[in-house]
Amino acid sequence: MASALLSPTQRYAAGTLFGLAIHEAQIHQSRPLCVGSSHQNHIEDDDDQRISTGSSTTSSADSVSEDPHLWVHPDSALLRPILQFLEIDSGAWSGIEETAGASHSSHHVGAYLRLLSEESEESSSEIKDQELALAKGVDCMKASMEASSDFENKRDKQREYAQDRREKCSVPEVPETPSTTDEIEVIQSIQERTIATVPEQLPTQGSEYKFKEEPAEEERILGYERKITVLYQLLSASLATMSENSKNSKQRKGYDARHRVALRLLATWLDVKWAKVEAMETMIACSVMALVKEEELKRGENGSEKSTWAKWKRGGIIGAAAVTGGALLAITGGLAAPAIAAGFSALAPTLGTIIPLFSLYHMLHAEIYAAAGAGLSGTKMARRIGDIDEFEFKAVGENHGQGRLAVGILVSGFVFDEEDFIMPWEGLTNNLERYVLVWESKHLIAVSTAIQDWLTSSIALGLMKQGAMLTVLSTLLTALAWPATLLALTDFIDSKWTIAVDRSDKAGKLLAEVLLKGLQGNRPVTLVGYSLGARVIFRCLQHLSKTEHQANLVERVVLLGAPIPIKDENWEAVRKVVAGRFINVYSQNDWMLGVAFRASLLSKGLAGIQAVDIPGIENVDATDTIEGHSSYLWATQEILDQLELDTYFPVFRSSATKN
Amino acid sequence: MGSSSNNSGSSNYDLSFKVLLIGDSGVGKSSLLVSFISNSTHDQSPTIGVDFKIKTLTVGGKKLKLTIWDTAGQERFRTLTSSYYRGAQGIILVYDVTRRETFTNLSDVWAKEVELYSTNQDCVKMLVGNKVDKDSERAVTREEGIALAQQLGSLFLECSAKTRENVEQCFEELALKIMEVPSLLEEGSNVGKRNVLKQKQDQRASPPGGGCCA
Repeated sequence: MASALLSPTQRYAAGTLFGLAIHEAQIHQSRPLCVGSSHQNHIEDDDDQRISTGSSTTSSADSVSEDPHLWVHPDSALLRPILQFLEIDSGAWSGIEETAGASHSSHHVGAYLRLLSEESEESSSEIKDQELALAKGVDCMKASMEASSDFENKRDKQREYAQDRREKCSVPEVPETPSTTDEIEVIQSIQERTIATVPEQLPTQGSEYKFKEEPAEEERILGYERKITVLYQLLSASLATMSENSKNSKQRKGYDARHRVALRLLATWLDVKWAKVEAMETMIACSVMALVKEEELKRGENGSEKSTWAKWKRGGIIGAAAVTGGALLAITGGLAAPAIAAGFSALAPTLGTIIPLFSLYHMLHAEIYAAAGAGLSGTKMARRIGDIDEFEFKAVGENHGQGRLAVGILVSGFVFDEEDFIMPWEGLTNNLERYVLVWESKHLIAVSTAIQDWLTSSIALGLMKQGAMLTVLSTLLTALAWPATLLALTDFIDSKWTIAVDRSDKAGKLLAEVLLKGLQGNRPVTLVGYSLGARVIFRCLQHLSKTEHQANLVERVVLLGAPIPIKDENWEAVRKVVAGRFINVYSQNDWMLGVAFRASLLSKGLAGIQAVDIPGIENVDATDTIEGHSSYLWATQEILDQLELDTYFPVFRSSATKN
Repeated sequence: MGSSSNNSGSSNYDLSFKVLLIGDSGVGKSSLLVSFISNSTHDQSPTIGVDFKIKTLTVGGKKLKLTIWDTAGQERFRTLTSSYYRGAQGIILVYDVTRRETFTNLSDVWAKEVELYSTNQDCVKMLVGNKVDKDSERAVTREEGIALAQQLGSLFLECSAKTRENVEQCFEELALKIMEVPSLLEEGSNVGKRNVLKQKQDQRASPPGGGCCA
């Protein structure tokens, strides 16, 4: 059975820890993690760990049962299915929920880790062997996943591209590498100016994020095998979450982004590397795949698929398969790892995207294969919305058909040719199954070219030489009156810009619909976009926030140089549909954005050049890396690396943190 | 679910207190709680981990909401209890009058735990001897109970979850005593105020900032 590896007490502890992680993750949505206490003047001992759920009509109640907005509330259907899968006595459920949602929930983590570490009286050597086998299997899988990708080659290609774009886009007056003392002086003056002229920039909003949560102290008393087993069980439970009580309308299918975020936090508490959890994901995916295939062969074509699946579900076959997979890997040991990995990947393509198997609970058969087969890469203008001419996903990276349980959708927004939709994302090395969104290339190229032409026009260069426009804010704040000749030139940009902005809003809606349909295989999605691509993502999230969906679809979001006003947009609501990290990367030197957005910049602010002061949004100042809007083409990769997206907590490791 | 009792007007209360039930396994903590919440007197299976119940009642003209945490007495869950003392305004220490060791364990083990883990200096303690309906099997006298209560500086009651004798008094007296302590009263009313005003977190008058989260 699924839970045989852990004693009832350990399962109870694991379930509660997962509940604690789910609740913490929800808190972190609206509460920054230790980025100073400038606007969140709360102290640890206050009894306010309860979440205010956004709308002013909601009172913060004293118990979880009174606040259905909480992720640990039964209505959210996040925790109970897990407890059920772990076969925890239903009498203990409400106690677990209340513990998870209680005022001082984080203090319980240590106690439950201790409970988890205790040896159960019936713990036999057989169980220990199985735990060991599982842990070895996971290590093995991780190793083979790492070995299978050719990072070096990709990096080289990426570097080449970056160099090429840098040359193409660089403004003559700004050399690639400052070498003469003159040039260094100019750069320094830019930096001084930035600091001097933008007084409203809070010191705490910079890139100096600190880790708040380190592995829990009690983590050390837990054996590595036990940790892996616990994570594995919880992961299986998350994937197998069943919708038996279909009366609940909020019930969703597939792998919930909030579960993945909670697992990430739990892995941090346990000090287990996230790559190990990703290895487990792939292991389970592949095991289930193999199992389904075998079952299909046995069964032939007749027989009701639905009832068979129901039978499997009851038998806890997901968990069983998972354990089998682990054991299988372990038995063959390290030597055979590549062969097994090859076997797994050989299996995968035959069924297309395998992941929808996890949503089989609803709908086995045709639809899935249809959906999976088509999937994201088949979404080539599935239907026209308004006047969108182009909207297509292209697979990038090496992780396709490899049993990856998380998807990345990457959206460019400042492009000069088709390649710019793909190349900025080619060098990514994470384990996401990655897709780029190619959209409205004609309009994007037009506006990008117009802007680039304007930037290199003599008048703009002249201004830049004088240093008048070195930071957008200072320019607009200090010199409101621009030379008329300069403004005249921008008319040309404005018309193109307006069209492109309009298209990005429409594309955002389309993207939301794709996600709502589950074309990503009902897997958690990470959205990354720069320039107008960031706007597409923002609009997509905005659209999602208007549906009944909570943060079940989108796991992480990174907006770079986003042309989105700060005021008059409901950032809070948008934040709420993202389960994990929400990052706004901005550059104070991005005056292309400033020019294009000058109408509302002063009154409404702009996410691409300023911090967004909303609790729970990580603001990253990339002014040092981004010297102009086109820099996102080649610097996005580097910034994403510095953000370490696989970390639960805000991270931005940059040269800027040195000072 | 278990947490629903008469919470029809759950946000309609003046004060809210957190109460913790501790004591050896089988002394009847859960029975006492169920008897108090739902007037029923079924036998309870051993508690797994920690259970949670809410009860609203009127004491001294105030509407109170008690959030009661019922801990497992079993040894294997002992490690959990320590983290639940935090923030409790009332702690009920329960023993079984027919089993002497549950009484001695209170002073030897549990009272020390309270001292060690309770974050609330003023928190009100109450010693409760359960199962007085089994008077013939009594192993701990009322006088011994009173003596220990004095030693611990706690309230004292004997009750029976089975016959419901003294069950309500037990919680009411505890609540009354909590309301007499100014610091606890303040803690309890903060929660209530938040609900009445339906304030968002930011707007609440928060205590002077203590810098970062730990």
